[in-house]
Amino acid sequence: MTSLHVDRLSVSANDQVLVAPFSFSLQAGQCLTLLGETGAGKSLLAQAIMGTLPAGLTAQGQITLDGEDLMALTLPRRRAIWGRRLILLPQEPWHALDPLMTAERQIQETYRHAAGHDTERAVRYARQDLVSLGLDTAGARLPGELSGGMAQRVAFAAARAAGGKMVIADEPTKGLDSARRDDVVAMLKQTLAEGGTLLTITHDVEVARQLGGRIMILRNGDCIEAGPADQVLQQPISEYGRRLVAAEPSRWAPRRQYSRPDAPPVIEATQLSKARGGRTLFSEISLSIAPGEIVGISGPSGCGKSTLGDLLLGLSRPDRGQVRRAPGVAARRFQKLYQDPPAAFAPHWTLDTLLKDLIRQHRLDATRIPPLMDRLGLANVLLDRYPSDVSGGELQRFALLRALLLDPVMLFADEPTSRLDPITQQETMALLIELARERECAVMLVSHDEALIRHSCDRCLSLGNAEPHRPVPSTASSLPA
Amino acid sequence: MSQAIVRLLVSRLLQAGLVAWAVGTLTFLLTRALPGDMAYRIAAGRYGYENVDRDAAQAVASELNLDSHPLSAYAHWLGDLLQGKLGHSLVSGEPVWQELGHQLGHSLDLALTAVVLALLIGPPLGMLAGLRRGKALDKASLVAATGLRSLPPFVIGLLLIMLFSVTLGWLPAAGHGTAAHLWLPALSLALGLAAVSARVSRNAMARVASAPFYAFAMTKGLSPQRTFWRHGLRNVGVPVVAYLGVQLIYLIEGVVVVESLFAWPGIGHALVHALVARDVPMVQGTALAMGLLFVALNTLVDLACLAIDPRRRPA
Repeated sequence: MTSLHVDRLSVSANDQVLVAPFSFSLQAGQCLTLLGETGAGKSLLAQAIMGTLPAGLTAQGQITLDGEDLMALTLPRRRAIWGRRLILLPQEPWHALDPLMTAERQIQETYRHAAGHDTERAVRYARQDLVSLGLDTAGARLPGELSGGMAQRVAFAAARAAGGKMVIADEPTKGLDSARRDDVVAMLKQTLAEGGTLLTITHDVEVARQLGGRIMILRNGDCIEAGPADQVLQQPISEYGRRLVAAEPSRWAPRRQYSRPDAPPVIEATQLSKARGGRTLFSEISLSIAPGEIVGISGPSGCGKSTLGDLLLGLSRPDRGQVRRAPGVAARRFQKLYQDPPAAFAPHWTLDTLLKDLIRQHRLDATRIPPLMDRLGLANVLLDRYPSDVSGGELQRFALLRALLLDPVMLFADEPTSRLDPITQQETMALLIELARERECAVMLVSHDEALIRHSCDRCLSLGNAEPHRPVPSTASSLPA
Repeated sequence: MSQAIVRLLVSRLLQAGLVAWAVGTLTFLLTRALPGDMAYRIAAGRYGYENVDRDAAQAVASELNLDSHPLSAYAHWLGDLLQGKLGHSLVSGEPVWQELGHQLGHSLDLALTAVVLALLIGPPLGMLAGLRRGKALDKASLVAATGLRSLPPFVIGLLLIMLFSVTLGWLPAAGHGTAAHLWLPALSLALGLAAVSARVSRNAMARVASAPFYAFAMTKGLSPQRTFWRHGLRNVGVPVVAYLGVQLIYLIEGVVVVESLFAWPGIGHALVHALVARDVPMVQGTALAMGLLFVALNTLVDLACLAIDPRRRPA
């Protein structure tokens, strides 16, 4: 029977402790979820247990799998455990599959070369796996030709084919919309039902809730709270646990109703259509947005959410249809907030330099910066730092500051909080909405998180189905339930 | 044969036609623009410099229609080219086709040996360096690659002659006939090609080895060796082979210089001789053969890319 005991496991780099000593134990068939914000060292734990820590990082403590001390094993002996006894599920399945090998062969090779079956059996088992996953026609496809959900199932099958029972899932739902997230959780539960033992690492409270079992809440590499899932998620004891649970978008306070039906729209689009690579992304979308209104855009990845933003901002042209921006408003007052804050800043300049460049470029009033920074909760000392030396939340607020300096009438926010942990996400969204209302700046919020859209937007536009989209009247009653 | 291969071959065939026309026209213009009296040069090529006089030159000029209007000469020449008539060498009197047939064989021997050698030297070293980034081999191969690629092939050739023929006396310095004669010219070309291939492989290997799919192959239970053979090699091969197409220019240029240096009786050597002797049909013929060789080698590279990268084959 499978059991995993981790005793005072810590990870450090050059005497700097990244993950504080940490213990847990897991019996066969049990399920443990490590819950915590991104960058809390959760992934390092998974790597330490596997033995795949990057060079320069070392693990101390004891890891015992089925009574065998893993830390005492040499690297080749540890490799021999991978797949056969200890399984690491990949984070982003598209990237975890070899782009040049068909789906079926990637499952086959685990049976053949990791489990040691003969070719004939490996072929048969891989076929069976594909059929049982509902992928019987997809075996000959390359990963690039699979949908995200299909790739996920193929990667799971490939990972588990060598027969290991102890499964580690490190952020298995990163960047997935809720439907696909639920699929992944269902697959993890399937693993449990088949006698597997599960260690899941996630920042998504909903994943922890659906998996059940036990939960440990981590922060800065420390375990803050532990216990059965219902208990911890219903009534967290620690202050941080309470905030983490409350930060779930579905628990956010209901937003105040907002409507300015009489105001002329800041932007209007009629019958927009756009195709890319011979595929129609969307057709005949019409919309009209009032000042200060917050409109959500949802839909599966690749459905053209960001492309719609580019059309509205005038960064690219529609195949058909028209975009009309409010007359007499400068183009620069239609701004965009990007998904990945570090990618939206030049890395080799201090934030101060970057802001000053903006001031010079647009002849703005530099005295507006300090009160805005105050308002956004950004300390002055941050100005002397480089974009890589501030947190993701702070950097996204700098991005917001940068946009606000241009007095935007519309902000296209493309997944602005998807790289932030739940608590920072909640704070950032609250600030964004507050500022939008205050300054009558319309916001188009792209997100794969339906709960987040439901709780922060006045209405929602969903892309990705064949139906032509009609603008939804801006009342709260029209929101999808 | 799949649709992708057919489409590729058709487009390359069209390209070959265009190359033939462009190379032919350019050589036509350039041979006419060369300084010196063409008739004198040709006569000298035929009869030797001592025996050339005004009459001989005049005779050559009228025989070859050198005084006709350039446009009508061009039309005449183009008509011949369309019918595949390349004419006779003005020096030897042999048909150009026949001369090319011999030379092309030698040049292909040289070029293909050079490519094979380059692939045996460059990518393995590069991949090893890519798997051990920042280690001694990586640094040494960076220095060696930069050095070799910054030397023109004839300098590499001279250094090789000095080392292997003059100092060590292992290999003949020039000429052809035995397999030993092939080594030095092929190596002169191969080293420059290998230098670039090594760097491309090194970067590709580094990228592949740090890709999540490479790590995943190992955590799902494959040994490092198996991971390399099943997931490393092919993924590294895609950019290396594709870049080989770019390097063909270096190869074709190098063939001209290296053949002259080693007195290798190929197309490049013949081109240089024909230029000196103003043997216009031979200049046109050799330039044409080299242009078409370029297209043919590119087609091979494309076919190799199709073979190793299934993403290029539409399902």
